[in-house]
Amino acid sequence: MNDLTLEIIDLSLSFKGLMETTKVLHDVSLTIGQKEKVALVGESGSGKSVTARLVLGLLQAQSKTRVSGTINFEGKDLAWMTARERSQLRGTRMSMIFQDPVSALNPVYRIENQFHEVLKRKRPTISFDDARVESMAILGDVNITEPERVLKSFPFQLSGGMNQRVMIAMGLINEPTLLIADEPGTALDVTVQDQTLRLMHDMVEERGTSVFFISHNLGVVREFSDRLYVIYQGRIVEEGKTEDVFANPKHPYTRALLAAVPSITSGDTISDAINDTSAFLAPREVH
Amino acid sequence: MGNVLNLLIRRVWISLLVLVGVSILIFLIARVIPGDPARIALGPNATDEQVIKLRGELHLDDPIWKQYGYFASELLQGDLGTSLYTNRPVVKDIAQFLPATLELVFAAGILMVLIGLPLGIISAKYEGRFLDNLIRVIALLGVSAPSFVWAVILMLLFAFFLPLFPIAGRIHTDFDIDRTTGFLLIDTLLVGNLRAFVDALWHLFLPAFALALSGIGQAARLTRANMTETYRRPYIEMAHSYGFPGWRVARKYAFKPSLIPSLTIIGLDFAAMLGNAFLVEAIFAWPGLSRYGVAVILRKDLNAIVGTVLIISAAFLIANLIVDLLIALLNPKIRYARRNP
Repeated sequence: MNDLTLEIIDLSLSFKGLMETTKVLHDVSLTIGQKEKVALVGESGSGKSVTARLVLGLLQAQSKTRVSGTINFEGKDLAWMTARERSQLRGTRMSMIFQDPVSALNPVYRIENQFHEVLKRKRPTISFDDARVESMAILGDVNITEPERVLKSFPFQLSGGMNQRVMIAMGLINEPTLLIADEPGTALDVTVQDQTLRLMHDMVEERGTSVFFISHNLGVVREFSDRLYVIYQGRIVEEGKTEDVFANPKHPYTRALLAAVPSITSGDTISDAINDTSAFLAPREVH
Repeated sequence: MGNVLNLLIRRVWISLLVLVGVSILIFLIARVIPGDPARIALGPNATDEQVIKLRGELHLDDPIWKQYGYFASELLQGDLGTSLYTNRPVVKDIAQFLPATLELVFAAGILMVLIGLPLGIISAKYEGRFLDNLIRVIALLGVSAPSFVWAVILMLLFAFFLPLFPIAGRIHTDFDIDRTTGFLLIDTLLVGNLRAFVDALWHLFLPAFALALSGIGQAARLTRANMTETYRRPYIEMAHSYGFPGWRVARKYAFKPSLIPSLTIIGLDFAAMLGNAFLVEAIFAWPGLSRYGVAVILRKDLNAIVGTVLIISAAFLIANLIVDLLIALLNPKIRYARRNP
């Protein structure tokens, strides 16, 4: 037994096609301790999102996926659980925040109904009014000044930033031990994204929630996470404390990734280091 | 709710305008069909004098706009003229035949909703699996054969070879029920004759099912198509990520947002059935308005044609109105269109 919130050991995943199988994750291992904020960084298609969905247990049931390796959540192996037991963890012990808050909320129900649904996951008998009271409280925590109006609204009546706060509040209202954030706020504009991320940061610090943060945005990761893993083509290529990796990137891919961030001050054009991909499959670097 | 009321008022106005347009159009069309209605009404043995006299009474020699004027002013008083075929006021004919058709069409509409929508939901939930494929084949069969073919097949199978259902008619001749409303299912209950009610229901089932089959197929296919698309939306994944039970996700997250296009089609089908019912009515000897409509067209019974078409158009418009209203109630974006913060 250990006290890790999440421990992934040698996780591999392939999708079975008609003719061949495509391997999308190669022996991915990572750990998230209690109250730790860990980022998984990589370009699109690198396997970040499927890793998150495997942790939630959303892909295991599909007939075209082949999964091997171990995912231990709070010391228990997900593979040994039934589909029902896995689904009982979702929304109660772990929850997820999505990329585009507007399209991730149900368009035809009021926010208050959606909060009620989420709260019922943990306490199936909770009344609508009790759910409202609790939702109001947590909406206050995410700096929403008119919780009454927001609860009565449909998602399309709220701004992207508002919806994002609502989603953060929904993700945390059942006090999960693990919050998975898949590119949170990428669909929002930069200032709003920054605001909501700070807010999320404070909320999880306060509650001691572990965060599995998935992003392609190095700037955001640098501000948000304690440790990070860099993933390239389904392989972890570098891992370490955030400041260590940023100060001294060891793996060629990490260096290329950092060089690809356009800089306002230097006046340089975007580096072309990312074009030379031959070295990216070099062995994993650990700080 | 203010928006819905506005929408309703606007739609009622538009519907009335459409109804006026339809009345002009059908009036013109009925008048330009070749053949002399007065001659047909009076039969081959009538003298020229009699024909001229009747033409005068029917204003057939006046300019056509004047004829429409007579027609419209009578229409506003609830008078559709006298049928040249039955020699009774058209309004009375319609009042006699319409309930039978409405009963049939309502029953078919209910079957469409009760069978078509659930089939679509099940199909979408089990997309790509055996149950889905089975339902898709059934739905395709329903859509691809016209209702009169189904009427004949169902009648042969379940009334003739396997005598589970009565072969024709609305109710067994032994029952003598007072026609208060004309809807047998209601009338039998009004007189408290439960056995007659069951018998009427029994008679209703096969024709209603035959009439509903293509609509069931369409509703199922459309619901499935929309739901499978909705299933790919992020909020479905969000619902799964919160561990909501599969059927709850299907109902609250996938079905409700997908219901709108299905409702539109069901509404249109529902109204179209009024017109399409005539072959089913003919096959099952169902004394309805569609059969009456065909009979009067063949006899060039002008007043009756215009009256029947007007009633069917009005039914179309009412069905559309109800569907639009339901959609407005279902879709918060329409309901709150002008209250956007």
